[in-house]
Amino acid sequence: MEWLNETIGQAGVRGLGQLIGINIAFVAVMMVVAYTVLAERRVLAFIQGRLGPNRVGPGGILQPFADLLKFIFKEEITPTAATRFVFFLAPMIAVIAAFMPIIVYPFGPTINLPVVGEVSLVIARMDIGLLYVLGITSIGVYGIALAGWASNSKYSLMGALRASAQMISYELSLGLSLIGVVLLSGTLDLYSIVEQQSSWGGMKWNIFFQPLGFIIYLISAIAETNRVPFDLPEAETELVAGFHTEYSALKFALFFMAEYVNMFTVSMLATTLFLGGWNGPLVDKLPFLGVLYFFGKVFFFLFLYIWLRGTLPRFRFDQLMSFGWKFLLPFAILNVIVTATVAFFWF
Amino acid sequence: MLTILLFILFGGMAVGCAVAVVAQRNPLYSAISLVGVFISLACLYMTLAAPFIAAVQIIVYAGAIMVLVVFVIMLLNVEEEAHRPLRLRYLVPIAVALAAILIAEAAFILTLRGGPERVDTTGVPASDVGLTASIGTGLFTEYLLPFEVTSVLILMALVGAITLARRTLAPASTPEPEFAGASEYVLGEDYASRPTGVIQPGDTEATGQAMARMHIKQEEEAMRAKHSTTGEEEGEG
Repeated sequence: MEWLNETIGQAGVRGLGQLIGINIAFVAVMMVVAYTVLAERRVLAFIQGRLGPNRVGPGGILQPFADLLKFIFKEEITPTAATRFVFFLAPMIAVIAAFMPIIVYPFGPTINLPVVGEVSLVIARMDIGLLYVLGITSIGVYGIALAGWASNSKYSLMGALRASAQMISYELSLGLSLIGVVLLSGTLDLYSIVEQQSSWGGMKWNIFFQPLGFIIYLISAIAETNRVPFDLPEAETELVAGFHTEYSALKFALFFMAEYVNMFTVSMLATTLFLGGWNGPLVDKLPFLGVLYFFGKVFFFLFLYIWLRGTLPRFRFDQLMSFGWKFLLPFAILNVIVTATVAFFWF
Repeated sequence: MLTILLFILFGGMAVGCAVAVVAQRNPLYSAISLVGVFISLACLYMTLAAPFIAAVQIIVYAGAIMVLVVFVIMLLNVEEEAHRPLRLRYLVPIAVALAAILIAEAAFILTLRGGPERVDTTGVPASDVGLTASIGTGLFTEYLLPFEVTSVLILMALVGAITLARRTLAPASTPEPEFAGASEYVLGEDYASRPTGVIQPGDTEATGQAMARMHIKQEEEAMRAKHSTTGEEEGEG
């Protein structure tokens, strides 16, 4: 460590650490995505009384790699009427915007590693962590909107319009539901927000102070990621596959990946803000336990997503819109007002 | 050194995208280029130690306003602009002259008054001007009045937009005067005696729905009657 510090300086070491962290996180998230897809197929099959994919490897654990190979060897089709440049640009925007927020989530407490010394388990600690996440998420809409427009197909365009309308509408409630947490903790830095939840033996989670905010966040997050029961942009019975109808092979795989990465980041945000991140009993004595707690909570949310998909039918579009604007948004505003009043007088 | 490199990179991107906004003939390409401008500007704010402004730039401009613009372009399917001869041709030399003067001015200041390193930055604690807390404190103490006035202004724009939109929707519900029987509003009470789907002047949406409900009911009754008779036959057999 000493000689590294001397040759490239403290900032250089930090940059190098972040670079390594980003690569590890990228690979880890890819694996999580691959196995979330497999878990979704197996759990859905269980819910519906089927077996699901269990042929490739023991219990089907190599299925994601078989799928990936198949995606790679499929033919790339670009419709003749498509706007080529935007058609290629859209999946890239979607997947980049999905991956970018990962760096700000703290996934464990400060731990002591044998060679490196004290390391905080967060890749980039930002003063505006939460705003950064929201900003990048709002960029993700372009991937879907442009994909639908560039495909030059009616199903794609309808799906893209639905998706953008839905994401714009639910982004409001999503943002407002987070304000309650920000008001209580007084910072936008995700690492500090997690640290503040570590008292009461690691159980002072924000969900106990913000139950309404948590429910609103959960509902709008499902709508933001276009998942069942809010998966109208991809309603098979009406729109074939929605905005990615015309996409094939790896470009389709990119959209698919972006959706699952979004699910993962949204679950991480819920864990970080409402369920105390890596906090839990005994974390102050065994720091490594924090990583387990964090991913345990995240996987709980991922399971919730799959569970909902196996349970609930789809909304109608007018129900979706009136639910978002006339029900969720007023409650989110109410939550902000109540939290602000309480925080002003009692904290 | 790194800051200057980043400035050149993002500044160049911003200028390039801005030129593309004007030069593109497809309105959607212009919109995408404008998003590029906003993102490069946000990166510039980031290098200037103003992360909050950068995030707001992305969330408000790139994430909200431009999404709506793209949405409207997609919804209206705006055509590509056709090539047209330049109408205000005499403005071209004036524009070139003005640009030359601007560049000369910038060069003059940079060479005669010293380079960017001569700019006085003392007295400005750069590390916390752009932070969220300091901006919040400033907004709600020193600049409270402008802040509140701006919010009222935005509220007025909101109300105005809704009023404009409602005005175009309103006449659809008022009955057309030239039809006979338009004066009685609770119309179509005689719908039960008409054959299926015959709509008369002055019928409201409710009439249509009532008519549809009635016909569905009639069909159901017919089905049930038919089913019960066949059931009896089976019973006999």
